[in-house]
Amino acid sequence: MKQVAPTKTNLIKLRDELKFARMGHELLDQKRNILVVELLTLVDQAVEYEAKVDASLAKAYAELENAVLGMGKLKVGSLASAIDLRSSIRLKQRRVMGVALPVVDTAFADGGPYYSPMDTSVSIDGAVAAFRYALGLLGRLAELKLSITRLASELRKTIRKVNALEKIAIPELAESLHYIQNRLEESERDMFVLMKRVKDRLSKTEPEVPQA
Amino acid sequence: MKYYLLGDEDAVLGFGMVGVAGRAVASAAEAAAAFDEACADSDLGILIITERVAQLIRPRVDRLVYSDDFPLLVEIPDRQGRMAGRPGIRDTVNAAIGIKLG
Repeated sequence: MKQVAPTKTNLIKLRDELKFARMGHELLDQKRNILVVELLTLVDQAVEYEAKVDASLAKAYAELENAVLGMGKLKVGSLASAIDLRSSIRLKQRRVMGVALPVVDTAFADGGPYYSPMDTSVSIDGAVAAFRYALGLLGRLAELKLSITRLASELRKTIRKVNALEKIAIPELAESLHYIQNRLEESERDMFVLMKRVKDRLSKTEPEVPQA
Repeated sequence: MKYYLLGDEDAVLGFGMVGVAGRAVASAAEAAAAFDEACADSDLGILIITERVAQLIRPRVDRLVYSDDFPLLVEIPDRQGRMAGRPGIRDTVNAAIGIKLG
């Protein structure tokens, strides 16, 4: 416990400080709860997206393999470079409790048809569509992962603050406050007794004082 | 911003079809060089890496994943599917913040 002089001023100051600390604790506690809820939904979403990505990639690889088997790797390679499909990412931000979270938007610049449907396997069309779909999902997944990392570090900081307030700052303040209160009451009683004695003595000695 | 891919030949070919530039890497040294080169590119938004390649340069990959900086990184399964024994997202988060979620 910090040594503080047991005075009325300190008592008032500490009382204000304790009130402030309690308020801060309450706010941080709310923040922590909101972050946990947000994090939980994001993790659920990320798990779901990961499963979707896995499934769509497995399909995409299978289609690609079929195309390669049907047309040969060289031809697929040259067709791949003929496909005029450009993907780009646009980033936006959203804020949760002061934490900036990214929002990834995948845009495709399309210039189809890319190649003659004659003499090409149908699998390659399927593969392009599947990879394109998977890429959109990957953008979302990356966004979710970064959001989770940022939220998790913010949550960790918040938990530390809440615990510091709850386990150290508030008990210490309360203890100091209690100590000052006790001391003040004690000295009040002292004063009271002192006054009584003085009064007593005064009233006793008064008659003996010669009235000149 | 754009995507970039580090992976095996199949992945590079497949994502090449949808306009993602990429490089096929086979050894750890190659992967590390390509990884550093990709990270130095300021226009790179999302780095896609196959798990098997990521495994070759795990320390670098983890450092990027846990920093909250660009490029973003996603690991994808390759032709053979997910590798067994990798912790899921939920486990990673639980380990990172040290509390149990859900």
